[in-house]
Amino acid sequence: MHLLRFIGGRLVKGVLVLIAIATLNFFLIRAAPGDPATVMAGEAGAADAEFLRQLREQFGLDLPLHEQLWIYLTDILTLDLGFSYRQGRPVIDLIADRLPATLLLTGAAFVFSLALGVVLGILAARRAGKWSDSAITTGALFFYAMPLFWIALMSQIIFSLWLGWLPNVGFETIGAGYTGLRRALDIGAHLILPATTLGLFFTALYARMMRASMLEIAGADFVKTARAKGVHEGRIVRRHIARNAILPVVTLAGLQAGQIVGGAVLTETVFGWPGIGRLMFEALAQRDYQVLLGVFFISSAMVVLFNLITDVVYRIADPRIEVGR
Amino acid sequence: MSFFKRFARNKGALIGLIILLIVVAAAILAPYFYPTSPWRMVTRPFLPPMAVDGYWLGSDALGRDVAAGVMHGARVSLLIGLVSTLTALLIGVPIGALAGYFGGLIDDALMRFTEFFQTIPAFALAIVIVAILQPSLYSIVLAIAIVSWPPVARLVRGEVLSLRSREYVQAAVVIGQSTPRIIFTQVLPNTIAPITVMASLMVASAILLESALSFLGLGDPNMMTWGYMIGAGRTRLIAAWWISFFPGVAIFLTVLALNLVGEGLNDALNPRLSQGEA
Amino acid sequence: MSETSTTKRNLARAFATTAVALLMAVGTVGHVSQAQAQASQPTSGGTIQLAVTPEPPGLMLGLMQNGPTQMIAGNIYESLLRYDTDLNPQPSLAESWEVSDDELTYTFKLRENVKWHDGEDFDADDVIFSLDVFLREVHPRWRPTVTNQVESIEKTGEHEVKITLKQPFDPLLLSFEVGTTPMIPQHIYEGTDYRANPMNATPIGTGPMKFVEWSRGSYVHLQRNEDYYLEGKPYIDEVYYRFIPDAASRAVAYETGTVDVLTGGSVEIFDVPRLADLPNTCVTTDGWEMFAPHAWVALNVREGVLADKTFRQGLMHAIDREFARDVVWSGYGTIATGPISSRTRFYSDDVPQFPFDPDRARELIEESSYDGETLEFLVLPYGETWTRWAEATRQNLEDVGVKVDLVTTDVAGWTERVGNFNFEMTHNFLYQYGDPALGVARSYVSSNIVEGNPFSNVTGYSNEEVDRLFAEAANAPAEEREALYQEVQELLVDELPVLWMVEMDFPTVYRCDLKDFITTAIGVNDAFRDAWLEQ
Repeated sequence: MHLLRFIGGRLVKGVLVLIAIATLNFFLIRAAPGDPATVMAGEAGAADAEFLRQLREQFGLDLPLHEQLWIYLTDILTLDLGFSYRQGRPVIDLIADRLPATLLLTGAAFVFSLALGVVLGILAARRAGKWSDSAITTGALFFYAMPLFWIALMSQIIFSLWLGWLPNVGFETIGAGYTGLRRALDIGAHLILPATTLGLFFTALYARMMRASMLEIAGADFVKTARAKGVHEGRIVRRHIARNAILPVVTLAGLQAGQIVGGAVLTETVFGWPGIGRLMFEALAQRDYQVLLGVFFISSAMVVLFNLITDVVYRIADPRIEVGR
Repeated sequence: MSFFKRFARNKGALIGLIILLIVVAAAILAPYFYPTSPWRMVTRPFLPPMAVDGYWLGSDALGRDVAAGVMHGARVSLLIGLVSTLTALLIGVPIGALAGYFGGLIDDALMRFTEFFQTIPAFALAIVIVAILQPSLYSIVLAIAIVSWPPVARLVRGEVLSLRSREYVQAAVVIGQSTPRIIFTQVLPNTIAPITVMASLMVASAILLESALSFLGLGDPNMMTWGYMIGAGRTRLIAAWWISFFPGVAIFLTVLALNLVGEGLNDALNPRLSQGEA
Repeated sequence: MSETSTTKRNLARAFATTAVALLMAVGTVGHVSQAQAQASQPTSGGTIQLAVTPEPPGLMLGLMQNGPTQMIAGNIYESLLRYDTDLNPQPSLAESWEVSDDELTYTFKLRENVKWHDGEDFDADDVIFSLDVFLREVHPRWRPTVTNQVESIEKTGEHEVKITLKQPFDPLLLSFEVGTTPMIPQHIYEGTDYRANPMNATPIGTGPMKFVEWSRGSYVHLQRNEDYYLEGKPYIDEVYYRFIPDAASRAVAYETGTVDVLTGGSVEIFDVPRLADLPNTCVTTDGWEMFAPHAWVALNVREGVLADKTFRQGLMHAIDREFARDVVWSGYGTIATGPISSRTRFYSDDVPQFPFDPDRARELIEESSYDGETLEFLVLPYGETWTRWAEATRQNLEDVGVKVDLVTTDVAGWTERVGNFNFEMTHNFLYQYGDPALGVARSYVSSNIVEGNPFSNVTGYSNEEVDRLFAEAANAPAEEREALYQEVQELLVDELPVLWMVEMDFPTVYRCDLKDFITTAIGVNDAFRDAWLEQ
């Protein structure tokens, strides 16, 4: 009952945060130089005052700013994310088109990196100070330390160009007309490089966090007590250390899940993956306000949701934290 | 046992410290080895490493010396990493500590504030900030700090939240110690280890974030950074690997060193650990 | 055409450097027909994938003029004419045309049996609607022409249209390219809110390719128009335009065979020589003659040291354009000598010359009012070659003692700043559209100093003599124009309102078994009428 009331309260606060964020984003984006009309004029390579006036009128940019904000917020409350005049489609459709690709990519990368990171972290911690510890830490760090776009391109050169094993760009083979299982396998083949590249980046973070956390907990009193009581070492690691050590990692992972959009922009760009991160970045560059705000709104809602889940997991995992203050 | 001895017991940490010192030395000595601007076109473009005496890391697309760029880049990249991390810590630690310790309304307010910043996609927020303020060293540092502090706040809050219910903190409350004293003597010292770990990674991620901004054309065009060099050389990866490879190695070594040092600090600073297993 | 890249480039360059326009025209025509004669018989079938960047906002060509839209939609829509690589008009929807002796009436005889993609008939009413109603309202390049030059547009038969001018306007005949005047289906757009018309999502034209599908973020799919009015054409069955945002990934996609064509601008220019060496790979710089992109450094000449002509001449001597062409642009392009591209009409090299000469530059700058101030150079945010060029330019200028700070921004920021004249120096490149009256005058005449528009006269240069010459030349009878443009070129090159740099090449990289691919002055934009795949 406590937990339900906690969740309910958080949801209400979440909605308020979302509205505040929509407002902030609205002004933040408007502070950037240029507007959708100037961008379209810039792309057209030709424009005149009439052209710009027509576009601004069509985009509703000729209204006073507070009216535009009011329209936007009232639309948001009815879950209407607006219309992209640039692309001539409702924002919700544009996002719905792209969201599955991003969820697939980040989901795969997330599972891959969390599993690998936790395992590597435990292994490294158990061998703390030994050379294998250094090897694991350094190896994981390599993929974190080299810029993502460099790793991404390198993997394309090795696995697509030189070895010819995997496709280098896109979501699936275009024009092949695959269906069913054949299509799933085709998408899977396209998924491997981007998901691994993105996943390896986060693996270092989780491994690093898991290792530090393991070592931290290993020195805690209750572990010493357990050891003094003669509990088997493997059981100590599993039941006492790893279970507690995973908490900060879960926190971090929960946050990453919320940051799904930001993390995937570069990966989606280099691998030509038709996801929401690219949509966001392109909308930003094009000052396609409605789309940008829409993506921000959806991703903000995700963060609120994932933070809530993280907190709930945290509370279930560590009963010392009081629930329902 | 002295702090340094405890630190030096970790061989990795020592190696990291040495690498870091070399990088810092490179940053300081760059103007002595390469007195002219690293932007200068000094030789034939696309010269491979070692091909011509004096250009031992080769030259880039415009005939600029890659070695000069790597050394000068050390200054700017380190500066960006350090300043933005410090800024982020200055914002994040107090917010996290206050939220975690006091809980209730304060926690709610501060966490809403944190969430507020965190719910906006970080990378996009950074781009928007840099775009609004025009790409420059300052706007880049500011953007990186603004998107980096929320995780610090959450981490500190999480730690403090957990520490607050520990026996020794509860005991301090019972015997009537003042709140600031409890925060500074009982709670914060125990968060230093995870903060250090995080900060070492943050310096690294700041350097990487700068490179990502550079990649998107939002770097300071007057500052030679490793990120800029990798971004500019990336498209020539096949034809001229050395342009992006050497600054990449520099970033990797620096990030590695920062992590090893952070880890050494962690071991040295964490009293429970240092008395624990060998 | 299947020449190798080198011969093509040498040819292009040889032509570009000759001043005799007539000779040039004759030379290339002969060369084209020879190439066609050598080619074997076209065969039907095949699928082509092209890399296009960036993803366009839409495909309704009447409403959007950006490069990617034109590249794709130029095969869906058609205009009255097409142009060969020497800008000579060719039949398209108009099978013939006549110009009256007084150069005031143009009569177009339309092709019969043309159908829109939805099966409706195309006729003179569609032409009137397009030129006089739709495009007059929305098209930023057709609007000035139709408003200032055209008296009336009349239907003189079911398949005949007559355009009457207010005064002679020789460039009119260059305005019937598909990007400038695409024919719009009257039955779909008449009486609607054009920009809100839901049919914009599924464009209907008369062209050789029909729109099938647009998977956002991935590709646009076009298919052969079975009912196309030319027997047997088009030959290619399916065309996919793919959107791969990263330049390096696009190059890899070509190398791995994922895409068959890297369109001009979608491949970083330094990658071209490397890709040209791959098997079955052809490179051509043809297909941009209509646009003849002309790159320069725009200077805000309103105030400060940049208003000083001596200083500007010093800058011109200071910038190493050969280096820029050979290193930054990997040898592609031609050094520009003045405002008019050597690839279009009325070019003259009989103008003051400013060779790279740092010593002379230092002298001139010494003489000028330059006082050690730092100038801001706004980097053009169109890819990394421009950034490299700005860096090289900065060094050139610093070598002669002029301090320069580079400033970066994104496309929106750049457009805003340049459009509002809030800059000191920046690179820019503009299309010439085949005639100085259409694509050159706009950057120099004082009547076009219009705030908010980055393609107006943003430098603020104002000279009554220049205004007069451009105005007269636009409406002079064809044979008198040359002399007027000669005069204005001499004047402008001495004054240097902008520093002309390079006549740019946008090489297209494609598989050699794609035949008759680039045959017109707009290249890829209307390539799929004639292109075929050797089986």
